[in-house]
Amino acid sequence: MRKFFLVVSLCLIPLAPVAARAHAFLDHASPLVGSTVPAAPHDVVLTFTQNLEPAFSTAQVTDSSGARVDQGKAQVSGNTMTVGLKSIGPGSYKVHWHALSVDTHSTEGTFTFHVGGH
Amino acid sequence: MASLLASLLAGLLADPLLYARALHFAATMLVAGVVLFAVLVAAPAWRGAAGNRAVAMNVRTRLAVIAWIGLALAAISGAAWLILTAAAMSGSPAARVFGDGVLWTVLSQTTFGRAWLIRFVLACALAATLPALLSRRDRKSTWLEITAAVLAAAFAGALAWSGHAAGGLGGEAILHPAADVLHLVAAAAWVGALLPLIVLFAAAGADDASLAMARTATVRFSILGIVSVGTLLATGIVNTFYLAGSVPALLHTEYGRLLLIKIVLFLAMVAIAAINRVRLTPQLLQQASIAASRGALRRLRRNAAIEALAGAAVIAIVAALGTMAPAIHAAHQHPTYGAVPADAAFVHIHLVEGMADVTIRPGRAGRAGATIRLWDEDFEALEARQVSMTLTAPGATGNPTSLPARQRRDGAWQVDDIELSQPGNWTVTVDVVLDRTKRLTLTAPIVIEP
Repeated sequence: MRKFFLVVSLCLIPLAPVAARAHAFLDHASPLVGSTVPAAPHDVVLTFTQNLEPAFSTAQVTDSSGARVDQGKAQVSGNTMTVGLKSIGPGSYKVHWHALSVDTHSTEGTFTFHVGGH
Repeated sequence: MASLLASLLAGLLADPLLYARALHFAATMLVAGVVLFAVLVAAPAWRGAAGNRAVAMNVRTRLAVIAWIGLALAAISGAAWLILTAAAMSGSPAARVFGDGVLWTVLSQTTFGRAWLIRFVLACALAATLPALLSRRDRKSTWLEITAAVLAAAFAGALAWSGHAAGGLGGEAILHPAADVLHLVAAAAWVGALLPLIVLFAAAGADDASLAMARTATVRFSILGIVSVGTLLATGIVNTFYLAGSVPALLHTEYGRLLLIKIVLFLAMVAIAAINRVRLTPQLLQQASIAASRGALRRLRRNAAIEALAGAAVIAIVAALGTMAPAIHAAHQHPTYGAVPADAAFVHIHLVEGMADVTIRPGRAGRAGATIRLWDEDFEALEARQVSMTLTAPGATGNPTSLPARQRRDGAWQVDDIELSQPGNWTVTVDVVLDRTKRLTLTAPIVIEP
Protein backbone atom coordinates (compact mmCIF):
# COMPACT_ATOMS: atom_id res chain seq x y z
CA MET A 1 0.00 0.00 0.00
CA ARG A 2 2.85 2.36 0.81
CA LYS A 3 4.26 1.66 -2.63
CA PHE A 4 0.90 2.55 -4.17
CA PHE A 5 0.81 5.95 -2.47
CA LEU A 6 4.39 6.55 -3.50
CA VAL A 7 3.40 5.91 -7.12
CA VAL A 8 0.34 8.17 -6.84
CA SER A 9 2.31 11.01 -5.28
CA LEU A 10 5.03 10.65 -7.92
CA CYS A 11 2.33 11.04 -10.55
CA LEU A 12 1.24 14.31 -8.96
CA ILE A 13 4.68 15.91 -9.15
CA PRO A 14 4.27 17.15 -12.75
CA LEU A 15 1.06 18.92 -11.92
CA ALA A 16 2.83 21.99 -10.59
CA PRO A 17 2.15 24.91 -12.93
CA VAL A 18 4.78 25.68 -15.53
CA ALA A 19 4.83 28.01 -18.47
CA ALA A 20 5.78 25.59 -21.22
CA ARG A 21 4.31 25.74 -24.71
CA ALA A 22 3.37 23.41 -27.53
CA HIS A 23 2.00 23.80 -31.07
CA ALA A 24 3.01 26.69 -33.29
CA PHE A 25 1.18 29.82 -32.26
CA LEU A 26 2.19 33.34 -33.12
CA ASP A 27 4.33 34.60 -30.29
CA HIS A 28 5.05 38.04 -31.67
CA ALA A 29 5.42 39.82 -34.98
CA SER A 30 7.32 42.72 -36.49
CA PRO A 31 5.56 45.07 -37.12
CA LEU A 32 3.73 44.33 -33.88
CA VAL A 33 0.20 42.93 -34.11
CA GLY A 34 -2.26 45.83 -34.45
CA SER A 35 0.49 48.45 -34.33
CA THR A 36 1.03 51.58 -36.38
CA VAL A 37 4.53 52.07 -37.76
CA PRO A 38 5.72 55.44 -39.12
CA ALA A 39 7.58 54.08 -42.16
CA ALA A 40 6.83 51.16 -44.46
CA PRO A 41 8.74 48.01 -43.39
CA HIS A 42 10.69 45.94 -45.93
CA ASP A 43 9.39 42.70 -44.51
CA VAL A 44 7.09 41.12 -41.94
CA VAL A 45 8.77 38.83 -39.43
CA LEU A 46 6.59 36.36 -37.53
CA THR A 47 7.96 34.51 -34.51
CA PHE A 48 6.17 31.35 -33.40
CA THR A 49 6.16 29.25 -30.25
CA GLN A 50 7.49 26.19 -32.11
CA ASN A 51 9.70 25.30 -35.03
CA LEU A 52 7.91 25.31 -38.38
CA GLU A 53 7.96 23.10 -41.46
CA PRO A 54 9.21 25.39 -44.27
CA ALA A 55 7.48 23.33 -46.98
CA PHE A 56 3.97 24.02 -45.66
CA SER A 57 4.18 27.34 -43.79
CA THR A 58 3.05 30.50 -45.58
CA ALA A 59 2.27 34.14 -44.96
CA GLN A 60 0.41 36.59 -47.18
CA VAL A 61 0.14 40.31 -46.75
CA THR A 62 -2.69 42.25 -48.38
CA ASP A 63 -3.64 45.91 -48.46
CA SER A 64 -7.11 47.22 -47.62
CA SER A 65 -8.30 46.52 -51.18
CA GLY A 66 -7.25 42.89 -50.85
CA ALA A 67 -4.27 43.09 -53.26
CA ARG A 68 -1.17 41.09 -52.37
CA VAL A 69 1.75 43.26 -51.30
CA ASP A 70 4.15 40.48 -50.24
CA GLN A 71 6.94 39.13 -52.43
CA GLY A 72 5.70 35.55 -52.49
CA LYS A 73 7.20 32.60 -50.65
CA ALA A 74 7.98 33.23 -47.00
CA GLN A 75 11.42 32.28 -45.68
CA VAL A 76 11.25 29.95 -42.70
CA SER A 77 14.11 29.47 -40.29
CA GLY A 78 13.48 27.57 -37.08
CA ASN A 79 10.52 29.28 -35.44
CA THR A 80 10.57 32.50 -37.48
CA MET A 81 8.91 33.21 -40.79
CA THR A 82 9.93 36.24 -42.86
CA VAL A 83 8.00 37.50 -45.85
CA GLY A 84 9.35 40.38 -47.96
CA LEU A 85 7.11 43.30 -48.88
CA LYS A 86 6.79 45.32 -52.07
CA SER A 87 7.19 49.04 -51.55
CA ILE A 88 3.99 50.05 -49.82
CA GLY A 89 2.52 53.38 -48.85
CA PRO A 90 0.50 54.49 -45.84
CA GLY A 91 -2.54 52.37 -45.07
CA SER A 92 -3.74 49.24 -43.30
CA TYR A 93 -2.31 45.85 -44.10
CA LYS A 94 -3.58 42.41 -43.22
CA VAL A 95 -1.19 39.52 -42.53
CA HIS A 96 -2.65 36.04 -42.97
CA TRP A 97 -0.30 33.33 -41.73
CA HIS A 98 -0.53 29.58 -41.96
CA ALA A 99 1.97 27.67 -39.83
CA LEU A 100 2.64 23.94 -39.89
CA SER A 101 4.48 22.97 -36.73
CA VAL A 102 7.02 20.15 -36.81
CA ASP A 103 4.55 18.20 -34.64
CA THR A 104 2.32 18.03 -37.79
CA HIS A 105 -0.41 20.36 -36.52
CA SER A 106 -1.29 23.47 -38.46
CA THR A 107 -2.56 26.75 -37.13
CA GLU A 108 -3.49 29.96 -38.86
CA GLY A 109 -4.46 33.47 -38.04
CA THR A 110 -4.62 37.03 -39.24
CA PHE A 111 -3.70 40.39 -37.85
CA THR A 112 -3.40 43.90 -39.16
CA PHE A 113 -0.77 46.60 -38.92
CA HIS A 114 -0.80 50.14 -40.15
CA VAL A 115 1.73 52.31 -41.96
CA GLY A 116 1.79 56.07 -41.79
CA GLY A 117 0.88 58.83 -39.47
CA HIS A 118 -2.88 58.67 -39.26
CA MET B 1 -17.68 11.87 -17.95
CA ALA B 2 -20.50 10.57 -20.17
CA SER B 3 -20.28 13.64 -22.37
CA LEU B 4 -16.50 13.21 -22.62
CA LEU B 5 -16.90 9.61 -23.77
CA ALA B 6 -19.66 10.62 -26.20
CA SER B 7 -17.54 13.35 -27.74
CA LEU B 8 -14.58 10.97 -27.91
CA LEU B 9 -16.74 8.42 -29.71
CA ALA B 10 -18.05 11.07 -32.10
CA GLY B 11 -14.46 12.18 -32.75
CA LEU B 12 -13.42 8.60 -33.46
CA LEU B 13 -16.18 8.12 -35.99
CA ALA B 14 -15.47 11.42 -37.68
CA ASP B 15 -11.71 11.13 -37.92
CA PRO B 16 -10.07 8.29 -39.87
CA LEU B 17 -6.67 9.56 -38.65
CA LEU B 18 -7.61 8.34 -35.17
CA TYR B 19 -8.10 4.76 -36.41
CA ALA B 20 -4.83 4.85 -38.32
CA ARG B 21 -2.95 6.20 -35.30
CA ALA B 22 -4.52 3.72 -32.85
CA LEU B 23 -3.87 0.75 -35.13
CA HIS B 24 -0.32 1.90 -35.85
CA PHE B 25 0.54 2.42 -32.18
CA ALA B 26 -0.90 -1.00 -31.29
CA ALA B 27 0.83 -2.79 -34.19
CA THR B 28 4.17 -1.06 -33.48
CA MET B 29 3.98 -1.92 -29.77
CA LEU B 30 3.15 -5.53 -30.70
CA VAL B 31 6.01 -6.02 -33.22
CA ALA B 32 8.57 -4.38 -30.96
CA GLY B 33 7.08 -6.20 -27.96
CA VAL B 34 7.38 -9.64 -29.58
CA VAL B 35 11.02 -9.06 -30.54
CA LEU B 36 12.01 -7.60 -27.15
CA PHE B 37 10.12 -10.45 -25.45
CA ALA B 38 11.84 -13.09 -27.60
CA VAL B 39 15.31 -11.67 -26.85
CA LEU B 40 14.98 -10.55 -23.21
CA VAL B 41 12.41 -13.00 -21.78
CA ALA B 42 11.84 -16.04 -23.95
CA ALA B 43 15.39 -16.89 -25.09
CA PRO B 44 16.57 -17.79 -21.55
CA ALA B 45 13.21 -19.48 -20.91
CA TRP B 46 13.61 -21.64 -24.03
CA ARG B 47 17.00 -22.72 -22.80
CA GLY B 48 15.23 -23.69 -19.54
CA ALA B 49 12.83 -25.87 -21.53
CA ALA B 50 15.67 -27.92 -22.99
CA GLY B 51 13.86 -31.09 -21.88
CA ASN B 52 10.92 -30.22 -24.13
CA ARG B 53 12.07 -28.73 -27.44
CA ALA B 54 8.60 -29.08 -28.96
CA VAL B 55 7.03 -26.56 -26.58
CA ALA B 56 9.75 -23.96 -27.24
CA MET B 57 9.37 -24.41 -30.99
CA ASN B 58 5.61 -24.15 -30.66
CA VAL B 59 5.92 -20.80 -28.85
CA ARG B 60 8.47 -19.49 -31.38
CA THR B 61 6.20 -20.37 -34.30
CA ARG B 62 3.25 -18.53 -32.73
CA LEU B 63 5.40 -15.49 -31.88
CA ALA B 64 6.56 -15.41 -35.50
CA VAL B 65 2.94 -15.36 -36.70
CA ILE B 66 2.10 -12.51 -34.29
CA ALA B 67 5.22 -10.56 -35.35
CA TRP B 68 4.42 -10.84 -39.07
CA ILE B 69 0.77 -9.88 -38.58
CA GLY B 70 1.87 -6.94 -36.43
CA LEU B 71 4.42 -5.83 -39.02
CA ALA B 72 1.84 -6.02 -41.82
CA LEU B 73 -0.70 -4.03 -39.78
CA ALA B 74 2.00 -1.48 -38.90
CA ALA B 75 2.83 -1.07 -42.60
CA ILE B 76 -0.81 -0.60 -43.65
CA SER B 77 -1.75 1.75 -40.81
CA GLY B 78 1.56 3.63 -41.15
CA ALA B 79 0.84 4.25 -44.84
CA ALA B 80 -2.69 5.43 -44.01
CA TRP B 81 -1.35 7.77 -41.30
CA LEU B 82 1.22 9.19 -43.72
CA ILE B 83 -1.36 9.83 -46.45
CA LEU B 84 -3.86 11.43 -44.06
CA THR B 85 -1.14 13.62 -42.52
CA ALA B 86 0.19 14.64 -45.94
CA ALA B 87 -3.36 15.59 -46.92
CA ALA B 88 -3.82 17.64 -43.75
CA MET B 89 -0.41 19.33 -44.15
CA SER B 90 -1.00 20.34 -47.77
CA GLY B 91 -4.70 21.08 -47.40
CA SER B 92 -5.54 18.83 -50.35
CA PRO B 93 -7.81 15.76 -50.27
CA ALA B 94 -6.18 12.40 -49.44
CA ALA B 95 -6.59 11.14 -53.02
CA ARG B 96 -4.57 14.09 -54.32
CA VAL B 97 -1.40 13.66 -52.24
CA PHE B 98 0.06 11.16 -54.73
CA GLY B 99 0.01 13.75 -57.48
CA ASP B 100 1.60 17.19 -57.21
CA GLY B 101 4.62 15.71 -55.40
CA VAL B 102 2.94 16.34 -52.04
CA LEU B 103 3.83 12.92 -50.64
CA TRP B 104 7.49 13.28 -51.59
CA THR B 105 7.63 16.82 -50.18
CA VAL B 106 6.24 15.51 -46.88
CA LEU B 107 8.65 12.55 -46.82
CA SER B 108 11.75 14.53 -47.73
CA GLN B 109 11.14 17.93 -46.15
CA THR B 110 9.20 17.49 -42.92
CA THR B 111 10.21 16.05 -39.56
CA PHE B 112 7.23 13.70 -39.65
CA GLY B 113 8.08 12.47 -43.16
CA ARG B 114 11.76 11.88 -42.39
CA ALA B 115 10.76 9.94 -39.26
CA TRP B 116 8.49 7.82 -41.46
CA LEU B 117 11.28 7.12 -43.99
CA ILE B 118 13.66 6.11 -41.20
CA ARG B 119 11.00 3.92 -39.57
CA PHE B 120 10.29 2.27 -42.94
CA VAL B 121 13.97 1.33 -43.25
CA LEU B 122 13.98 0.12 -39.62
CA ALA B 123 10.87 -2.00 -40.27
CA CYS B 124 12.51 -3.60 -43.34
CA ALA B 125 15.68 -4.36 -41.37
CA LEU B 126 13.61 -5.74 -38.51
CA ALA B 127 11.67 -7.94 -40.94
CA ALA B 128 15.00 -9.30 -42.20
CA THR B 129 15.97 -10.44 -38.69
CA LEU B 130 12.60 -12.09 -37.91
CA PRO B 131 13.01 -15.38 -39.83
CA ALA B 132 16.30 -16.18 -38.09
CA LEU B 133 15.23 -14.82 -34.69
CA LEU B 134 12.03 -16.87 -34.54
CA SER B 135 13.23 -19.89 -36.51
CA ARG B 136 12.90 -23.43 -35.12
CA ARG B 137 16.61 -23.52 -34.28
CA ASP B 138 17.30 -23.41 -30.55
CA ARG B 139 20.53 -21.44 -30.43
CA LYS B 140 20.60 -17.91 -31.81
CA SER B 141 23.66 -15.75 -32.27
CA THR B 142 23.99 -13.03 -29.66
CA TRP B 143 24.62 -10.48 -32.42
CA LEU B 144 21.35 -11.38 -34.08
CA GLU B 145 19.49 -10.95 -30.79
CA ILE B 146 21.11 -7.58 -30.02
CA THR B 147 20.53 -6.30 -33.57
CA ALA B 148 16.85 -7.34 -33.53
CA ALA B 149 16.25 -5.80 -30.08
CA VAL B 150 17.91 -2.49 -31.07
CA LEU B 151 15.94 -2.34 -34.33
CA ALA B 152 12.68 -3.09 -32.51
CA ALA B 153 13.37 -0.41 -29.88
CA ALA B 154 14.28 2.14 -32.58
CA PHE B 155 11.17 1.30 -34.63
CA ALA B 156 8.96 2.00 -31.61
CA GLY B 157 11.00 4.91 -30.22
CA ALA B 158 11.12 6.84 -33.52
CA LEU B 159 7.34 7.25 -33.23
CA ALA B 160 8.21 10.14 -30.90
CA TRP B 161 8.84 12.34 -33.95
CA SER B 162 5.30 11.83 -35.21
CA GLY B 163 3.67 13.90 -32.50
CA HIS B 164 3.70 16.62 -29.93
CA ALA B 165 7.19 15.80 -28.63
CA ALA B 166 8.76 16.96 -31.90
CA GLY B 167 7.88 20.62 -31.70
CA GLY B 168 9.66 22.09 -28.71
CA LEU B 169 12.19 24.90 -28.55
CA GLY B 170 15.27 25.23 -26.35
CA GLY B 171 15.70 22.58 -23.64
CA GLU B 172 12.33 21.06 -24.50
CA ALA B 173 13.63 20.24 -28.00
CA ILE B 174 16.01 17.68 -26.46
CA LEU B 175 14.34 16.57 -23.24
CA HIS B 176 10.80 16.04 -24.56
CA PRO B 177 11.66 13.76 -27.53
CA ALA B 178 14.22 11.88 -25.39
CA ALA B 179 11.58 11.20 -22.75
CA ASP B 180 9.05 10.22 -25.41
CA VAL B 181 11.47 7.74 -27.06
CA LEU B 182 12.12 6.03 -23.73
CA HIS B 183 8.38 6.08 -22.96
CA LEU B 184 7.55 4.33 -26.25
CA VAL B 185 10.31 1.72 -25.90
CA ALA B 186 9.29 0.96 -22.31
CA ALA B 187 5.63 0.70 -23.36
CA ALA B 188 6.57 -1.74 -26.13
CA ALA B 189 8.71 -3.83 -23.76
CA TRP B 190 5.85 -4.12 -21.27
CA VAL B 191 2.46 -3.72 -23.00
CA GLY B 192 3.65 -5.11 -26.34
CA ALA B 193 5.15 -8.15 -24.62
CA LEU B 194 1.93 -9.10 -22.77
CA LEU B 195 0.43 -10.98 -25.72
CA PRO B 196 3.66 -12.99 -26.29
CA LEU B 197 3.69 -13.73 -22.54
CA ILE B 198 0.10 -15.02 -22.73
CA VAL B 199 1.07 -17.22 -25.70
CA LEU B 200 4.00 -18.65 -23.74
CA PHE B 201 1.85 -19.29 -20.65
CA ALA B 202 -0.82 -20.96 -22.82
CA ALA B 203 1.76 -23.38 -24.22
CA ALA B 204 3.20 -24.27 -20.80
CA GLY B 205 1.91 -26.38 -17.92
CA ALA B 206 1.73 -29.85 -19.39
CA ASP B 207 5.07 -31.09 -18.00
CA ASP B 208 8.00 -30.06 -15.81
CA ALA B 209 10.10 -28.79 -18.71
CA SER B 210 7.36 -26.43 -19.92
CA LEU B 211 6.67 -25.30 -16.34
CA ALA B 212 10.39 -24.52 -16.00
CA MET B 213 10.11 -22.43 -19.17
CA ALA B 214 7.13 -20.54 -17.72
CA ARG B 215 9.00 -19.94 -14.43
CA THR B 216 12.07 -18.48 -16.14
CA ALA B 217 9.85 -16.33 -18.39
CA THR B 218 7.86 -15.05 -15.39
CA VAL B 219 10.98 -14.04 -13.49
CA ARG B 220 12.54 -12.35 -16.53
CA PHE B 221 9.29 -10.60 -17.45
CA SER B 222 8.95 -9.39 -13.89
CA ILE B 223 12.36 -7.66 -14.09
CA LEU B 224 11.53 -6.23 -17.53
CA GLY B 225 8.18 -5.03 -16.12
CA ILE B 226 9.73 -3.20 -13.17
CA VAL B 227 12.29 -1.45 -15.40
CA SER B 228 9.54 -0.54 -17.89
CA VAL B 229 7.11 0.77 -15.27
CA GLY B 230 9.85 2.89 -13.68
CA THR B 231 10.78 4.30 -17.10
CA LEU B 232 7.13 4.91 -18.05
CA LEU B 233 6.53 6.75 -14.79
CA ALA B 234 9.61 8.99 -15.04
CA THR B 235 9.16 9.81 -18.73
CA GLY B 236 5.39 10.14 -18.35
CA ILE B 237 6.02 12.84 -15.76
CA VAL B 238 8.25 14.74 -18.22
CA ASN B 239 5.66 14.45 -20.99
CA THR B 240 2.81 15.58 -18.73
CA PHE B 241 4.95 18.52 -17.66
CA TYR B 242 5.29 19.65 -21.28
CA LEU B 243 1.79 18.84 -22.52
CA ALA B 244 -0.53 19.60 -19.61
CA GLY B 245 1.53 21.88 -17.42
CA SER B 246 -0.92 22.58 -14.61
CA VAL B 247 -3.64 21.03 -12.45
CA PRO B 248 -6.46 23.19 -13.90
CA ALA B 249 -5.32 22.25 -17.40
CA LEU B 250 -5.58 18.56 -16.46
CA LEU B 251 -8.98 18.92 -14.83
CA HIS B 252 -10.74 21.37 -17.10
CA THR B 253 -9.71 20.41 -20.61
CA GLU B 254 -10.77 17.37 -22.60
CA TYR B 255 -7.09 16.62 -23.23
CA GLY B 256 -6.31 16.75 -19.53
CA ARG B 257 -9.24 14.53 -18.55
CA LEU B 258 -8.33 11.91 -21.15
CA LEU B 259 -4.75 12.01 -19.88
CA LEU B 260 -6.09 11.42 -16.34
CA ILE B 261 -8.06 8.38 -17.55
CA LYS B 262 -4.85 7.11 -19.15
CA ILE B 263 -2.95 7.57 -15.87
CA VAL B 264 -5.69 5.73 -13.93
CA LEU B 265 -5.56 2.81 -16.40
CA PHE B 266 -1.76 2.76 -16.07
CA LEU B 267 -2.03 2.62 -12.27
CA ALA B 268 -4.56 -0.23 -12.53
CA MET B 269 -2.09 -2.13 -14.74
CA VAL B 270 0.69 -1.49 -12.24
CA ALA B 271 -1.55 -2.75 -9.42
CA ILE B 272 -2.24 -6.02 -11.29
CA ALA B 273 1.49 -6.37 -12.05
CA ALA B 274 2.20 -5.90 -8.34
CA ILE B 275 -0.23 -8.72 -7.44
CA ASN B 276 1.48 -10.94 -10.02
CA ARG B 277 4.88 -10.24 -8.55
CA VAL B 278 4.05 -10.35 -4.84
CA ARG B 279 1.55 -13.25 -4.76
CA LEU B 280 1.37 -15.32 -7.94
CA THR B 281 5.04 -15.47 -8.96
CA PRO B 282 6.15 -17.00 -5.61
CA GLN B 283 3.33 -19.60 -5.95
CA LEU B 284 4.58 -20.52 -9.42
CA LEU B 285 8.19 -20.70 -8.27
CA GLN B 286 7.58 -22.80 -5.14
CA GLN B 287 7.19 -25.97 -7.20
CA ALA B 288 5.19 -27.51 -4.29
CA SER B 289 2.96 -29.40 -6.68
CA ILE B 290 2.24 -29.33 -10.39
CA ALA B 291 -1.39 -28.53 -9.63
CA ALA B 292 -0.49 -25.44 -7.53
CA SER B 293 1.94 -24.25 -10.22
CA ARG B 294 -0.69 -24.72 -12.90
CA GLY B 295 -3.21 -22.74 -10.83
CA ALA B 296 -0.76 -19.86 -10.43
CA LEU B 297 0.05 -20.03 -14.15
CA ARG B 298 -3.63 -19.82 -15.05
CA ARG B 299 -4.16 -16.76 -12.86
CA LEU B 300 -0.99 -15.10 -14.22
CA ARG B 301 -2.30 -15.68 -17.73
CA ARG B 302 -5.70 -14.19 -16.87
CA ASN B 303 -4.07 -11.14 -15.26
CA ALA B 304 -1.80 -10.65 -18.27
CA ALA B 305 -4.91 -10.66 -20.47
CA ILE B 306 -6.58 -8.01 -18.27
CA GLU B 307 -3.39 -5.91 -18.40
CA ALA B 308 -3.26 -6.29 -22.19
CA LEU B 309 -6.88 -5.05 -22.49
CA ALA B 310 -6.11 -2.04 -20.29
CA GLY B 311 -2.98 -1.49 -22.41
CA ALA B 312 -5.12 -1.49 -25.58
CA ALA B 313 -7.38 1.14 -24.02
CA VAL B 314 -4.31 3.23 -23.14
CA ILE B 315 -3.11 2.99 -26.76
CA ALA B 316 -6.53 4.15 -28.02
CA ILE B 317 -6.34 7.14 -25.68
CA VAL B 318 -2.79 7.93 -26.83
CA ALA B 319 -4.02 7.88 -30.44
CA ALA B 320 -6.76 10.37 -29.56
CA LEU B 321 -4.50 12.62 -27.48
CA GLY B 322 -2.10 13.07 -30.39
CA THR B 323 -4.83 14.58 -32.56
CA MET B 324 -6.00 16.99 -29.84
CA ALA B 325 -4.50 20.28 -28.82
CA PRO B 326 -2.51 19.71 -25.62
CA ALA B 327 -4.08 21.06 -22.45
CA ILE B 328 -1.21 23.50 -22.11
CA HIS B 329 -2.76 25.65 -24.87
CA ALA B 330 -5.94 26.24 -22.95
CA ALA B 331 -4.04 27.75 -20.07
CA HIS B 332 -1.17 29.54 -21.72
CA GLN B 333 -1.89 30.30 -25.34
CA HIS B 334 -3.94 32.69 -27.40
CA PRO B 335 -6.59 30.23 -28.54
CA THR B 336 -8.09 32.77 -30.91
CA TYR B 337 -4.86 33.03 -32.90
CA GLY B 338 -5.35 29.46 -33.99
CA ALA B 339 -8.98 29.84 -34.91
CA VAL B 340 -9.68 33.20 -36.50
CA PRO B 341 -12.41 32.48 -39.05
CA ALA B 342 -11.53 33.54 -42.59
CA ASP B 343 -14.42 36.01 -42.77
CA ALA B 344 -13.61 37.74 -39.49
CA ALA B 345 -11.74 40.91 -38.64
CA PHE B 346 -9.39 40.29 -35.75
CA VAL B 347 -7.15 42.44 -33.60
CA HIS B 348 -5.00 41.65 -30.61
CA ILE B 349 -4.70 44.64 -28.26
CA HIS B 350 -1.80 44.42 -25.87
CA LEU B 351 -1.16 46.56 -22.78
CA VAL B 352 0.95 45.78 -19.73
CA GLU B 353 -2.15 45.52 -17.51
CA GLY B 354 -3.91 43.11 -19.82
CA MET B 355 -4.85 42.29 -23.37
CA ALA B 356 -7.89 41.68 -25.48
CA ASP B 357 -8.51 39.64 -28.63
CA VAL B 358 -11.36 41.20 -30.55
CA THR B 359 -12.98 39.19 -33.35
CA ILE B 360 -15.69 40.88 -35.43
CA ARG B 361 -17.60 38.50 -37.62
CA PRO B 362 -18.31 38.92 -40.45
CA GLY B 363 -15.54 41.49 -40.75
CA ARG B 364 -17.21 43.49 -43.50
CA ALA B 365 -19.69 46.35 -43.80
CA GLY B 366 -23.15 45.40 -42.58
CA ARG B 367 -24.50 43.62 -39.53
CA ALA B 368 -21.97 41.74 -37.36
CA GLY B 369 -21.23 40.34 -33.93
CA ALA B 370 -18.10 40.66 -31.85
CA THR B 371 -16.29 38.34 -29.46
CA ILE B 372 -13.86 39.72 -26.90
CA ARG B 373 -11.42 37.54 -24.96
CA LEU B 374 -9.45 39.07 -22.13
CA TRP B 375 -6.06 37.93 -20.87
CA ASP B 376 -3.61 39.07 -18.25
CA GLU B 377 0.10 39.39 -19.05
CA ASP B 378 0.62 35.65 -18.45
CA PHE B 379 -2.10 34.75 -20.95
CA GLU B 380 -4.35 33.59 -18.13
CA ALA B 381 -8.01 34.50 -18.58
CA LEU B 382 -8.65 37.94 -17.08
CA GLU B 383 -11.65 38.21 -14.77
CA ALA B 384 -13.84 41.23 -15.47
CA ARG B 385 -17.05 42.56 -13.92
CA GLN B 386 -18.29 44.43 -16.94
CA VAL B 387 -17.14 44.89 -20.52
CA SER B 388 -18.28 47.29 -23.18
CA MET B 389 -17.08 47.98 -26.71
CA THR B 390 -17.06 51.12 -28.80
CA LEU B 391 -16.60 51.12 -32.57
CA THR B 392 -15.69 54.39 -34.28
CA ALA B 393 -16.20 54.61 -38.04
CA PRO B 394 -13.36 55.96 -40.25
CA GLY B 395 -13.40 59.76 -40.18
CA ALA B 396 -16.29 59.90 -37.71
CA THR B 397 -16.61 63.09 -35.71
CA GLY B 398 -19.53 62.60 -33.29
CA ASN B 399 -19.57 60.51 -30.14
CA PRO B 400 -19.93 56.81 -30.98
CA THR B 401 -22.24 54.78 -28.78
CA SER B 402 -20.85 52.25 -26.39
CA LEU B 403 -22.25 48.69 -26.73
CA PRO B 404 -22.51 46.48 -23.62
CA ALA B 405 -21.04 42.97 -23.81
CA ARG B 406 -22.51 39.93 -22.08
CA GLN B 407 -20.31 37.13 -20.75
CA ARG B 408 -20.76 33.73 -22.40
CA ARG B 409 -20.44 30.41 -20.63
CA ASP B 410 -16.94 29.88 -22.06
CA GLY B 411 -15.77 33.12 -20.42
CA ALA B 412 -15.59 35.20 -23.59
CA TRP B 413 -17.61 38.42 -23.93
CA GLN B 414 -20.11 38.79 -26.73
CA VAL B 415 -21.57 41.88 -28.46
CA ASP B 416 -24.46 41.31 -30.87
CA ASP B 417 -26.17 43.46 -33.51
CA ILE B 418 -23.32 45.75 -34.47
CA GLU B 419 -24.03 47.98 -37.45
CA LEU B 420 -20.87 48.52 -39.53
CA SER B 421 -21.95 51.41 -41.77
CA GLN B 422 -18.92 51.42 -44.07
CA PRO B 423 -15.67 49.61 -44.86
CA GLY B 424 -12.30 51.03 -43.88
CA ASN B 425 -10.07 51.55 -40.90
CA TRP B 426 -12.32 51.57 -37.82
CA THR B 427 -11.24 52.06 -34.24
CA VAL B 428 -12.29 49.60 -31.59
CA THR B 429 -12.17 50.48 -27.90
CA VAL B 430 -12.74 47.86 -25.22
CA ASP B 431 -13.66 49.18 -21.79
CA VAL B 432 -13.13 46.68 -19.01
CA VAL B 433 -14.30 47.12 -15.42
CA LEU B 434 -11.98 44.89 -13.38
CA ASP B 435 -13.23 45.84 -9.93
CA ARG B 436 -14.61 48.89 -8.09
CA THR B 437 -11.45 50.92 -8.56
CA LYS B 438 -9.70 49.40 -11.57
CA ARG B 439 -10.61 49.91 -15.19
CA LEU B 440 -8.79 49.02 -18.35
CA THR B 441 -9.26 50.71 -21.72
CA LEU B 442 -7.81 49.07 -24.81
CA THR B 443 -7.92 50.80 -28.19
CA ALA B 444 -6.76 49.64 -31.61
CA PRO B 445 -7.57 50.07 -35.28
CA ILE B 446 -9.41 47.24 -37.03
CA VAL B 447 -9.94 46.86 -40.76
CA ILE B 448 -13.48 46.27 -42.00
CA GLU B 449 -13.66 44.88 -45.54
CA PRO B 450 -16.15 46.18 -48.12
